[in-house]
Amino acid sequence: MSDLLSILSNAQSSLAAQRALTATASHNIDNANTEGYSRQRAELVTVTPAEQVRGAFIGRGCTLGTISQARDRFLEAQIPRALADAASSSAQSEALQAYTGFDVGDKSGLGAAVTKFYSTLRALAQNPGDAALRSSFLGSAQALARAFNTTAQGIESTRSGLDADATGLVGEINSAAQAVAALNAQVRAARASGAEPNDLLDLRQRQLDQLATLAGATTVATSEGDVNVVLPGGVTLVAGARAGQLGTLPSASGHVDVRMEKLPDGSGPVALAASALGGTLGGTLAARDGALADALTAVDDLAADMAGALNAQHALGFTTTGAPGGPLFDVSGALGAARSMRLAISSASQLALAGSAAAGPGDATNANALLATESAALDPLDPARRGVQERLAAIVSQYGASTATAKAFAEQDAAVKDHLATMRDSYSGVSIDDEMITLQQAQRGYEAIAKVIQAADSMLETLLNLR
Amino acid sequence: MRVTERLVFQRATHDAASAREAAEKANADLTRGTRVEHPGDDPATAGLVVAHRMTGERFAAIASATSAAADELEAADSALGNASHALVRAREIAVRFSSAGYSQTEATAASQEVQGLMAQMATALNARVGNRYVFGGSRDAAPPFDANGTYGGDGIAREVEIAPGVRQQANVLVGGMAATADPTQQTAFNALSALRAALATYSTAGVQATLTGLETGMDQVAGARAQAGVAMNAFDAATSAAKLVSDGEEKSESKLNEIDYAAAAVRLQATQTALQATYSAVSQSFRLSLLNYLK
Repeated sequence: MSDLLSILSNAQSSLAAQRALTATASHNIDNANTEGYSRQRAELVTVTPAEQVRGAFIGRGCTLGTISQARDRFLEAQIPRALADAASSSAQSEALQAYTGFDVGDKSGLGAAVTKFYSTLRALAQNPGDAALRSSFLGSAQALARAFNTTAQGIESTRSGLDADATGLVGEINSAAQAVAALNAQVRAARASGAEPNDLLDLRQRQLDQLATLAGATTVATSEGDVNVVLPGGVTLVAGARAGQLGTLPSASGHVDVRMEKLPDGSGPVALAASALGGTLGGTLAARDGALADALTAVDDLAADMAGALNAQHALGFTTTGAPGGPLFDVSGALGAARSMRLAISSASQLALAGSAAAGPGDATNANALLATESAALDPLDPARRGVQERLAAIVSQYGASTATAKAFAEQDAAVKDHLATMRDSYSGVSIDDEMITLQQAQRGYEAIAKVIQAADSMLETLLNLR
Repeated sequence: MRVTERLVFQRATHDAASAREAAEKANADLTRGTRVEHPGDDPATAGLVVAHRMTGERFAAIASATSAAADELEAADSALGNASHALVRAREIAVRFSSAGYSQTEATAASQEVQGLMAQMATALNARVGNRYVFGGSRDAAPPFDANGTYGGDGIAREVEIAPGVRQQANVLVGGMAATADPTQQTAFNALSALRAALATYSTAGVQATLTGLETGMDQVAGARAQAGVAMNAFDAATSAAKLVSDGEEKSESKLNEIDYAAAAVRLQATQTALQATYSAVSQSFRLSLLNYLK
């Protein structure tokens, strides 16, 4: 009888194991479309030790061993870097493409304004005494200054937009860091009961992926089972159940700097170098302080050099009243030459187009000299001796090259990320086909074990009915 | 490789989005007609397009300026022609009255005609183009010659750019024809003035003495016309050359940036076909599942 009772007991244990198999498959199917979910495996183990009956060992059925997650540690170790690089280069590429002030199709931009300025000057040099031509030239000079203002302001607006993005990202990073810290505590508490909290681990991994994407953060596992989060520069963002906090503050350039307001141990604030941030935040700041800042500097330099050359030549000329010329453009504002550029004269009578004080209104000697600045080297220190046109073409090309490089990196990094994500999904994702087969398998097993119970019960009844 | 449900749907999303993006880009390129919009599309082409466009517009402006300069010189030449006619007529009178046999009345009438010729010459040399007196040098806001031939302009040469950094004189300096304080200087107006005075008193010797001055005056006008002609030729050549360059720059810009419409149309068709194929493949992959077979 004890053997028959053992069979029933073993069958009961095995039925529970099949139910666990079914429940796990069901859980996997329920979460087939859940972002970040790793399929779980119910591992059945044979009950040991077997029962020894005379010279033989009779098995005692199976039971649920553990429910584990399907995760490839090697893949998981590569994912954060891939996410960070893809997010960073994508952010840079999108930021640079968002600025359209240098678009070739725009025939009303800086190039057109420069050409118009010199065209009206050329017409004026033929008839410097003509009031209408003087007014027209003043108008085109004003338009040139406005074109520089608009170009520089457009770049600055794009950079300010990136500042707003950075501030928003800092908030998201802080939220994700808080979530990781809380989940570390929950995972530790759950593990204290002796089982793996797979769903909590999935939630935590999702937040870690988010931190890798947003800030380029990597993880360090501790012996207590926590996951610490570290920024690219080595600054700790999350240590166990404590999270640090990023913050923004105004910088001297009028934009925002990002710093660690508080480290996990409560100390801080700590300044962060540009290289200490990666991911979307790092890429956003790199675009703001890299190609966009370089373009603004180049436009400022062009405005300053062009205004300088024109002002210097204008000062050598004389007005119709014989007075020496003053500056033609004012670029002395604090915002930078391009944004500050203004016409320094208010009346056509202040134009110094003559070559001498005694010359008549038709003398265009200085007008021709002003015209010569169109092809003259703007910067005496420029070894290539580039004029306005070459400098402007170089600004457009350089910005284009930065954008094209960012786009190429974004595509390349996205391909690497997608490849790793595909491999991770392949290993850890849920295949409905697999789970359906598992369900079928568990169902068959359950039916078979039920038959065993039926058989054992029948045998027991036979014994009990013996007279 | 193990294919999961998420992979299937993510791949479908990705493939459909990529095919859609390619089709939209092909459509946008064909609609816009240009290859490069943002400098990041092709950095080198973007820079070259800017350079070609600015150079083309610069040379178009040069062509416009040289054409205007040529027109002005043509007006100056026409005015010099009128001045030449006046001097030729004056010389005829001087030759006639350099010999005796005419009455004082006739000589007085001739003197008045010479006075008229002086005025005609002054009027010719006070020619205007637009609001500029073309023979005034830099003092072009007022008539350079008065009725007596005194010159109020200056000798400042006006230059116009015919090519980047290259300038050509665009005005003709005629101050040398003016009446001077020293009437013995050989100038056109001095000769006319002397002829008028000689005819007023009918001094045949005085009339004869003006012949050299009148010849010199005619040479001065001829020289000025020659100078105007040379300058006009230079400006005409510069106008043609500048227009050629401007057109060439425009063509270069188009060649760099305009799309090949035939190739773009083929590309649009290909991307749309690829999009249809992607949708078809995706919908097929959604139908295949073990769920359909398990009852």
